[in-house]
Amino acid sequence: MIQITKKLTGKKYWRSLDQFYQTSEFQTWVNREFPSAGQDMLDEPSRRNVLKVMAASFGLAGLTACRRPVEHILPNSKGIEDLIPGRPNYYNTAMPLGGASMGLMVEVNDGRPTKIEGNPNHPWSLGRARAYHQASILQMYDPDRGLAFKESGNNSDWAKFEAWSGSVQGQLGDGSGLRILSEYLHSPSLSAVRKHALTRFPKAQWIEYNAVQTNETALPAIARVAFDKAAVVVALDSDFLGLDSSTVLPVKEYVKGRMVGDADETVMSRLYTVESQFSVTGAAADHRFRSRSSDIGGYANALLAAIQNTTSPLKVVGQTPNTDKAVAAIAKDLIANKGKSVVVCGPRQPGGVHAVVHQINQALGNVGPVVTYLNRTSEQQTSQVDAIKTLAGDMAAGRVNTLVILSYNPAYSAPADLDFVANLKKVANVIYLAPEEDETAALAKWQIPAAHYLESWADSQAPDGTATIHQPTIQPLYGGKTAAELVATLTGFKDKKAYDIVRNYWLPILKDEKGWRKALHDGMVPNTTSTAAATPNFAAWASAPTPAGSGMEVVFVPSWSTYDGRFNNNAWLQEVPDPITKVTWDNAALVSKATASKLGVQMNDVISIERNGRKVEAAVFVQPGQADDSITVALGYGRTRVGRVGEGTGFNAYAVRTTDVFGFGTGFTVSKVAGKSYPLVQTQDYDSQTEPQLVSFQPKATRPVLREGTLAEYKHEPNFAQEMVETPPLRSLYGEYDYSRGNQWAMAIDLNSCIGCNACTVACQAENNIPVVGKTEVARGREMHWIRIDRYYTGNAEDPQAVTAPIPCMQCENAPCENVCPVAATVHSPEGLNDMVYNRCVGTRYCSNNCPFKVRRFNFLAWHHDTKESQKMQWNPDVTVRMRGVMEKCTYCVQRIQEAKIDAKAKGKRWMVDGDVTPACAQTCPSDAIVFGNVNDLNSRVAKMKLSPRNYAMLAELNIKPRTTYLAKLRNPNPELEVRS
Amino acid sequence: MLPFFKSNTPVNPVYGVVGLFDRPEDLLRAGEELHHKRGYTKLDAYSPFPIHGIDDAIGVPKSILGYIVFCAGLFGFANAVLMVWYTGAVDYPLVIGGKPLFAWEFSIPVVFELTVLFSSFGAVFGMFYLNGLPRFYHPTMNFSRFGEHTDDKYLLVVESTDPRFDVEELQAVMSELGAATTEVVEA
Amino acid sequence: MAQNPAALDPHVKPILVQGGASLHKITDDISKITESQTPLKWYIAIGISSSIALILFAMLGWLVWMGIGVWGNNQPVAWAWDITNFVFWIGIGHAGTLISAILFLFRQKWRTSINRAAEAMTLFAVACAGIYPLFHTGRPWRAAYWLLPLPNPYLAMWPNFRSPLVWDVFAVSTYLTVSALFWYVGLIPDLATLRDRAKGVRQMIFGAASLGWRGSARMWNNYEKAYLILAALSTPLVLSVHSIVSFDFATSVLPGWHTTIFPPYFVAGAIFSGFAMVITLMVIARWALNLQYLITIRHLENMNKVILATGTIVGYAYATEFFIAWYSGNPYERFVFINRAFGPFAWAYWAMVTCNVVTPQFFWSKRLRTNVPFMFVLSIFVNIGMWFERFVIIATSLHRDFMPSAWGYFRPTPVDMLTFFGTFGLFVTLFLAFCRFLPVIAVSEIKGMMANEAMHEAMHGQPVNAPAVPEVLEGGRH
Repeated sequence: MIQITKKLTGKKYWRSLDQFYQTSEFQTWVNREFPSAGQDMLDEPSRRNVLKVMAASFGLAGLTACRRPVEHILPNSKGIEDLIPGRPNYYNTAMPLGGASMGLMVEVNDGRPTKIEGNPNHPWSLGRARAYHQASILQMYDPDRGLAFKESGNNSDWAKFEAWSGSVQGQLGDGSGLRILSEYLHSPSLSAVRKHALTRFPKAQWIEYNAVQTNETALPAIARVAFDKAAVVVALDSDFLGLDSSTVLPVKEYVKGRMVGDADETVMSRLYTVESQFSVTGAAADHRFRSRSSDIGGYANALLAAIQNTTSPLKVVGQTPNTDKAVAAIAKDLIANKGKSVVVCGPRQPGGVHAVVHQINQALGNVGPVVTYLNRTSEQQTSQVDAIKTLAGDMAAGRVNTLVILSYNPAYSAPADLDFVANLKKVANVIYLAPEEDETAALAKWQIPAAHYLESWADSQAPDGTATIHQPTIQPLYGGKTAAELVATLTGFKDKKAYDIVRNYWLPILKDEKGWRKALHDGMVPNTTSTAAATPNFAAWASAPTPAGSGMEVVFVPSWSTYDGRFNNNAWLQEVPDPITKVTWDNAALVSKATASKLGVQMNDVISIERNGRKVEAAVFVQPGQADDSITVALGYGRTRVGRVGEGTGFNAYAVRTTDVFGFGTGFTVSKVAGKSYPLVQTQDYDSQTEPQLVSFQPKATRPVLREGTLAEYKHEPNFAQEMVETPPLRSLYGEYDYSRGNQWAMAIDLNSCIGCNACTVACQAENNIPVVGKTEVARGREMHWIRIDRYYTGNAEDPQAVTAPIPCMQCENAPCENVCPVAATVHSPEGLNDMVYNRCVGTRYCSNNCPFKVRRFNFLAWHHDTKESQKMQWNPDVTVRMRGVMEKCTYCVQRIQEAKIDAKAKGKRWMVDGDVTPACAQTCPSDAIVFGNVNDLNSRVAKMKLSPRNYAMLAELNIKPRTTYLAKLRNPNPELEVRS
Repeated sequence: MLPFFKSNTPVNPVYGVVGLFDRPEDLLRAGEELHHKRGYTKLDAYSPFPIHGIDDAIGVPKSILGYIVFCAGLFGFANAVLMVWYTGAVDYPLVIGGKPLFAWEFSIPVVFELTVLFSSFGAVFGMFYLNGLPRFYHPTMNFSRFGEHTDDKYLLVVESTDPRFDVEELQAVMSELGAATTEVVEA
Repeated sequence: MAQNPAALDPHVKPILVQGGASLHKITDDISKITESQTPLKWYIAIGISSSIALILFAMLGWLVWMGIGVWGNNQPVAWAWDITNFVFWIGIGHAGTLISAILFLFRQKWRTSINRAAEAMTLFAVACAGIYPLFHTGRPWRAAYWLLPLPNPYLAMWPNFRSPLVWDVFAVSTYLTVSALFWYVGLIPDLATLRDRAKGVRQMIFGAASLGWRGSARMWNNYEKAYLILAALSTPLVLSVHSIVSFDFATSVLPGWHTTIFPPYFVAGAIFSGFAMVITLMVIARWALNLQYLITIRHLENMNKVILATGTIVGYAYATEFFIAWYSGNPYERFVFINRAFGPFAWAYWAMVTCNVVTPQFFWSKRLRTNVPFMFVLSIFVNIGMWFERFVIIATSLHRDFMPSAWGYFRPTPVDMLTFFGTFGLFVTLFLAFCRFLPVIAVSEIKGMMANEAMHEAMHGQPVNAPAVPEVLEGGRH
């Protein structure tokens, strides 16, 4: 990674670590419980020394890794509990993100967690995980996370903090000066601690704030939408398939509704989206309408009016000329599907709009069959924005003398108008549970390292209340603490250790040890789902609709890579491109072509976005399908105090995100910064399947690589996909090799399900030890992703539709790459795999030239050269780490196939059926688009899918016989609205 | 001592008679006179370049190099075919691009190249062998003006092993036919 | 230079050696080059060229230390300047053997004055070319012997004889070996001449090098046979080598590479660039070594004719490619060629067309064809054009192939450029050394040609303008 090498190489680490090994205090320090206790070795807190300690802690990480946690945690495997050398154990746990808990299953090799999978038992995960969860494991091993206990800048330790807390408890009195800032509370044990804290200090306040929210916190209840039950879905500025839900369930349910049967009795839901930026939901939609987020309220009201046959109090200021026609058609469609349709709107929209949307659902009788309401797990009544506003007010007024920060980095992510940084300085005791050396940590009196969820005891609840107890899969690498531990210690809770807090909370509920063990084993606590709440009276909530402000609006969305900034130092997520823009390592100001010309800017120009004296400069990215006069900027970049990966990436949108424009807003002055430009890097340079028009006499040609049609076409002509390309009879010069016997591995990818969410790419990266190359190398076209996601635009350039597809190695039976390898380093296995023999490869790159799909990846430089020791702990022991000069590519996770075959052999079985083997991409795919199996087994899903009329092979005309085939995408447009080609 | 250096004990003190000519045509005539008319058999002609007709004049047999080259080429061809077949189809069979383990189509280039390679080896080293090269010493080098024949002079040599060897006759004939000088060279 | 009026008059057959030099003069002139005091300008020249060659080795060292990433290669353009330069040098390496072998078989006696230098040039060009197939690999320390059919204890694997790269290894190494043998066999008599003129150590060296050649009739007898056979073998060899190089592309699935026209088209291009390079070098050499009377205008003119012919063939091939791309109805093929001429790499394409198709047409005019400064400049143009041809074929086909999502672009790095620059240093250094230490012209052949003419006249009273070179020199018999 270029960004990293220029800072500090892995080599230096080792040198400094070796020095440490010599010293005797290192030895004593090693024998102590927590590595970070070694801060006392640091004289002055120079970055260099901090890094030394980090370096040292890798070594310790190595040591701790070999030690199983002291408390008992239960593997998911049946029978043998002890570790079988060389065989991983699986532990169920959960990851809290965006106020929702995702049940996960962690693969642990020799005491090192190496891979995240979804927990199949967990209702919101269903065995799948998203990119954030997949990458969270790298987060844990991030060397830059290793930070020290600090008291007002001096090195300290937990013991000192305990002592200090004891002394400070007296001074807190009734707690009128005590504030505790956490994220959306969905952890029962932490709630228990909270209750104790608030009883002991009655005047204290507990504030919840998430910089990025997955549901509108102003409303009394959370809507639970069963998308599979909806025949018509209308998403108003809601990316429910992508950024606006941190769980898998909505995707799974939506895709279920899109599943098509045989041509005749095909059932398929219809999705309308109205949105400002091009989201993956918009890409999946049958009809997508561009509209400023400010105008969404107008749409909502118009829809409500159309449904209630009244006139809307609000005129739609949409940009699409036929907006009213659209609204009418949508309303008609909704009414036609009363009780089996739903309208959703995104968390960026104000409570008023949400209320209107919920009224629509009520009016349509969708509440009940499709939409149900859940009690929120937190007890905070006001909206989070109001809450933190109050907090900032108190701080400014000096009413706060002790502030405990459990939430993510407020100094960076709090609304800009609250001057949180300035106000923090007014607070005497700021205690920060720091995930890394970040902006807030710099200002805190007490800097307490936070334990990663994979290394700590805790618990969390899914939106419906389903609770999971987090099991640590490794000792805290950097001696981190959990939120519960911190608050418990500070407020004198009866239990101090995380394990006791969690266990003592749950044991009464789980009756006995047996129940406890079962809950750990299943990764779920039984019957914790909250009872459905009464439908709130939304009419009361619906504030009088205010006309949308005109002029340039700015929309703040979470980032696919950094979320709200917490993954900013995560190399996997930084390198994985945005599903739509394909921009990597940066965020950008997305503008439409019209807006760009209005502002007189083009790609890579820099614009300044200014509002009330606050301003940010961002690079322009001209995004097809972006609403005019609307600028979308992803949050979570432009960190000022961050590790070496995140350093210098992107632009900080928080700088102009104030409480009054929390989700989006107008009143920004946007101007071009003359003579300044910033190169944005994409992994895909050309956006269309239509060849560029280079010269007048060139015939217009479109390459049917990703094939799609409408439901109507499909019913009329099921084979439309295969007939898109006419090929002469394909015969080989020689006879064909016979693959009719034995296990034959194959893959089928359903484009109708793929939402392009990057989960497969990151899962593959985690499973196969794939290196990260950094921005400059991506710019050279040297990214290493084995499974990339292609995104093509169709239709007109201003307002296109998009289609996405994962492209792994196709494992061609007549593989062109194999013929040309001079040393037979890539050959075919009898089971139809296109194997790579890494230690035979000499790196002529001829195979890559001859690969029609260009899915082969070459180690142009020693990418792994500066992989940090701690990160090496994440490596999959079953997969070779490729050296530079070697070609690599997808092999259907051959290591998993081999493992399964060994197991089968032990059972005396040769024949493989579904479930025996699943590659990382297929296992994690939230939308079930990727299906893998033994194609010779006619009962396997993959064999069945290959019989579908939608099934086709890319570039079949080359007679390469790909083992990976695709099922054409279907759209279900409303006949009343013109269908874009 | 290596064979191609001068040996200490010459079998025969006299190697032969050498005549030096200034013009190739004189050499030719002298050669014909001695070989065809007077029946000398063990003669040889040294010249800076091959002279047209000299072989017939002094009776040099046709070169057998062609046969050597043919055998060498055949050897290369067989080797190549065996190599491609054995390595690919017998010793380590691998399914590559769905192609058969051995086929003529993809063997041709290698087979052709190796055939050519071994043939050329045959041509060059065969020629060395037939000419007894390398040989760094040869009795004619004792000839006082040896070396001029690689510039613009021509030598006619009759070896003493010739049954009709007669120094006086040879010297007389050569100088009569235009030899600039004649000389008896010892081994 | 001493212009011979006959050289300019198409009706009088220009003679191949001007001024009726004596055999001794020729021997003397050629030998003197290697015997006399080394001129200062030679030291300067080789000083410059060898320091450029040092850049090459520095760059290769850096490459092996860091990895291919120091070049501009990427996905999808995994081959770029490396293979371009390889094909470029291999192409240049075709003139020598062609002149020695094919012209020999066709009894083109004008070859005699230039074949020695041309063969030397071949060897050095192939040496430069040989650098790339090895060093363009990610792990040259393995590629060095894994591409050869050697028993390999490490993996017990063999090369894949389906791969054109393996064919390359055999073709190029065979070509290098046979050319070297051919060249050396031709050198032996001249080395003997030098031996006999020399004293002391020098004599020892040339004595050893000439293997004790005595030039006896019995030796010449086998020698001519060997030379004839080598010529007969080299002729198909030289054609096969570039055909096989073209298989690297022709046997792939890539539109723009997957073309049956490649072998003849590549061979023509190779001869084209090879002769251009010979012109470049000969024009300099004959001036620097005062050999105008041996390397006459007629030699140069004949080579220019070959350049004109092959250049036109190449132009025709370009046209055919486009026609087939359209006629085949293959959309990918069609796009690649449109993209070649009008896409991001159009500048390279049109540079190629200008240099390769347009400029040679000037040689229709005899005046330009025989104008030394002009042909010198033009030969350089041709070499530039032929480099671009290889670059265009490789880069433009790769950078936009089947999947639009995988399209890219190629930009060379300084390391790319310096490496290529360095190969010229190596090439010139070797050639300078050759000019200094070895007879640059096949002395015995020239003398044989002249003397046998004279002898014919003397013995059979035939006029000089009868077939000047006796069959014997051409290895014929009757």
